Amino acid sequence: MKKQASKFLMGMLFVGTFFTACNKDDKAPENEEELITTVQLRFTEVGNASNVLTYTFKDVDGAGGAAPSLNQQIVLAPSKSYTMAVKLLNESVTPAEDITLEVVDEADDHQFYYVPSSNLNITVSNLNVDSKNLPLGTTSTWTTGAANSTAGTVKVVLKHKPGIKAANDPITKGETDIEIDFSARVQ
Amino acid sequence: MSAKAQCNIVLSGKITDADTKKPLENAVISIVELNKKVVSDKNGNYRLTEICKGNYNISIQHIHCGTIVNHVHINNNTAQNFALPHTVNELEGVVVNGTVAAKGTQISTELKQRALDATRGASLGEALQKIAGVNVLQTGANIYKPIIHGLHSNRVLILNNGIRQEGQQWGSEHAPEIDPFIANRLSVIKGASAIKYGADAIGGVVLVEPKLLRTVPGIGGEINLVGFSNNRQGVFSAIIDGNSKKYPAFSWRLQNTIKRGGNAKTPNYWLDNSGNQEINFSVAAALQKQKSAVEIFYSFFSIKLAIFSGSHIGNVTDLLTAISSNQPPDYIKNVGFSYAIDRPYQNVQHQLLKLKAHTLTGGLGKLNAIVSFQNNWRREFDKKRFQSSSNDPQLDLNISTLATDIVWDHTSIHHVKGSVGITGSYQQNSYQYRLFIPNYEALNVGAFIVEKYTHKKWLAEVGIRFDNRSIFNTNSNLGRFYTNQTYSSFSGNMGVTYQIAEGTQFTVNASSAWRAPQVNELYSDGLHHGAARIEKGDSSLQAERANSVMANFTIQKKSWSADIAVYYKKIDDFIYLYPVNPPELTIRGAFPTFKYAQANIFMYGIDASVSYDISSHFGWSGKATIVRAKNRTTKEWMIQMPADRFENALQYNFSNSKRINDGYAKWSITNVLQQTRVPQTGNIPVTKNGVTTMESDYLAPPPAYFLVGIEAGAVYRVKENTPIHFTITISNLFNTVYREYLNAFRYYADEMGTNIGLKVKIPLFNKS
Repeated sequence: MKKQASKFLMGMLFVGTFFTACNKDDKAPENEEELITTVQLRFTEVGNASNVLTYTFKDVDGAGGAAPSLNQQIVLAPSKSYTMAVKLLNESVTPAEDITLEVVDEADDHQFYYVPSSNLNITVSNLNVDSKNLPLGTTSTWTTGAANSTAGTVKVVLKHKPGIKAANDPITKGETDIEIDFSARVQ
Repeated sequence: MSAKAQCNIVLSGKITDADTKKPLENAVISIVELNKKVVSDKNGNYRLTEICKGNYNISIQHIHCGTIVNHVHINNNTAQNFALPHTVNELEGVVVNGTVAAKGTQISTELKQRALDATRGASLGEALQKIAGVNVLQTGANIYKPIIHGLHSNRVLILNNGIRQEGQQWGSEHAPEIDPFIANRLSVIKGASAIKYGADAIGGVVLVEPKLLRTVPGIGGEINLVGFSNNRQGVFSAIIDGNSKKYPAFSWRLQNTIKRGGNAKTPNYWLDNSGNQEINFSVAAALQKQKSAVEIFYSFFSIKLAIFSGSHIGNVTDLLTAISSNQPPDYIKNVGFSYAIDRPYQNVQHQLLKLKAHTLTGGLGKLNAIVSFQNNWRREFDKKRFQSSSNDPQLDLNISTLATDIVWDHTSIHHVKGSVGITGSYQQNSYQYRLFIPNYEALNVGAFIVEKYTHKKWLAEVGIRFDNRSIFNTNSNLGRFYTNQTYSSFSGNMGVTYQIAEGTQFTVNASSAWRAPQVNELYSDGLHHGAARIEKGDSSLQAERANSVMANFTIQKKSWSADIAVYYKKIDDFIYLYPVNPPELTIRGAFPTFKYAQANIFMYGIDASVSYDISSHFGWSGKATIVRAKNRTTKEWMIQMPADRFENALQYNFSNSKRINDGYAKWSITNVLQQTRVPQTGNIPVTKNGVTTMESDYLAPPPAYFLVGIEAGAVYRVKENTPIHFTITISNLFNTVYREYLNAFRYYADEMGTNIGLKVKIPLFNKS
């Protein structure tokens, strides 16, 4: 009886070793694909191409982890017009990946919104359009009025609307890919 | 060779008391498989006749002794004597109703036969909700997790065919990866009284128990067909088992389930992308000899679950938009029915391989050894950012567990019997893509002893257990390393049962159990799939400890019966998630951020089920589940606790006719109250009519609801031995619009509307 029991325990042990040996090695490090880590707003003054202003929001490790590492305030001069081009980057990979190109490729599914707070004398217009003539907004024109005594915010939103993008969509429609409140002032 | 000639074998013998050696009168000797019973006479003699050749489990029970179950091979007239209470019970013990000793002092409720048939086609969590004291944590129409006494996930242990299920229990949307068709009995052991299964089951234990392997030579089986109207779901499940005529010790079983459902429908709109697909199978084989047995079991579970597209949000602004519009946007609502599963969806695979063996250790008892290997592979696919994006998942978690249990069940020595065991397991988890749970390895070692003392109408049980858990080699794919953790402690349980009469008994038990923090509680750091929330672990968490007292009273009188349990739990360092303010700033806007923290809490509650036979045809039954939980320091109610739930049912049983038996129709009303016991303030800024207040949740719990359901069934005998079981269930008969507090999707959409289910069970060949 004793012999039988020990034989049986040995058998169990053998099976155990077999399975342990099967464990895979750790997988190669990988990260979330097409992570947007950086939003860059590039302003070029109309009629003065040498006046270029760039403002950046950056969170290199994506959502969670460390807090955003860069969050700049937009400062525009009063009574001017600027052409603004937005650039999205994935800087968690080297070399950095330009995600703006993919937004432009699938322009029919995406839309940028720029919403200045009511106390700011900034108007955003002239958003570029997709193949269906609906706004896309990778480029736009920002027009400033008189200088503001206090700072406000400009909300920059990118919505993903696969197959449902239509004219006059509210900002609430679709899924949010980007939503940043840039602090801004006109001075 | 006539079948009749083989079926006149006689099994006879004498039943004696193993301690006093005196004959035992009134012992019940039954052949489990044949449902044949006799009672021993005053000299302890018994005689069972008209038995066919085969292998049977013989159960012998006596009111003053333990129950024993013996496996016998019968080829011709057999004389077999039995001595009681030299009990040799297996770890998962064959439960025989009506005996104090077999069950122990655990407080358990089970779902089997007709009650289980009525749940066929539903997921495990959904089926368990039929038991008083069990609620479900839901994520949409597909994902159900059992909650026992207000506790869930890592605090509820699920044993699949005797093996502790090791899946990815990290979140409310991670349902148990088990095919309920495998079970012919689902049991819930409430509270931490079953310490032999593990220390951390503070909420309770769920046992998913398959049918015993066939012991009568031949082949048999059944087919289950289920159809549901709401999501046009079809289920096919088949089971075939056999026992070799040539080698009567060899038995086998094959089982598989295929399931497919499409979008579910609320009373007013379809839930876009809410289908499911499931393919499962299992294989079992055993060699059962008189003194030893070896069993092998393999099961494969695979599910693809769509996640309702309206629940997949980008950030907290999207969540607030969804809440304020009170229903999904038109472009989601106007999508019709489809079986197609699009992103976001989950794909989960679970495999289990189990080897079990036992051998009798002389007359002293039985030595059991189990080795199991499990692999759980979970992939979560979010909506694609671009059409050109790869088809890869966003989250990919793979967990493997190797476990061994060695348990010695010893026979009764001076009315004391019990088990001693050691358990060990090694676990490895690795991830790809987005970080949520880091890679880690874990080692668990435990030892326990459980002893029962039986005397007359009394049963006393004492158990003690020691566990050590260590988590090591924890790291992220980006090269970050986390500290190793080791936890160890004792848990214990004490209980007494007094049997007043057959079916009427009173049990009290007290237990102290602990649970080590899990990896997600320590180190999770990142986005939760589609829920648009960030969860952050805390590596300084301590183990939590629950001290609880439970009492259970069951009574069975002629026309009525009741099963009432009350409990009180004091949990120190209870680990829970709380919202952090301000929410975390990301490139996608603000994300609700939750952190793990600890608090001293207490919980109490009552589960009751009562039934009364108004006449020989008419019966009433009622069920109630009430849970209360409070933070002992702040005196605030705990969040996410089930609301009070009541169920009333009237049942009519039809008289049997020649071909139709066991017909019944049941009318039930489920009433779930509004959860008003939630923390009054919190860390979440909620703006309503221009006023911002700090709340504990984005949306207050939904109002109370009433649901009416119908269930009817009958057995139709095509031939004498071919009973076909039919069951019809109608849930939410009046297509009521409602939302459930414990459904994570209550922010986005209503619950499912009327759903008619048709279930048919057909026996297969039954050749012998």
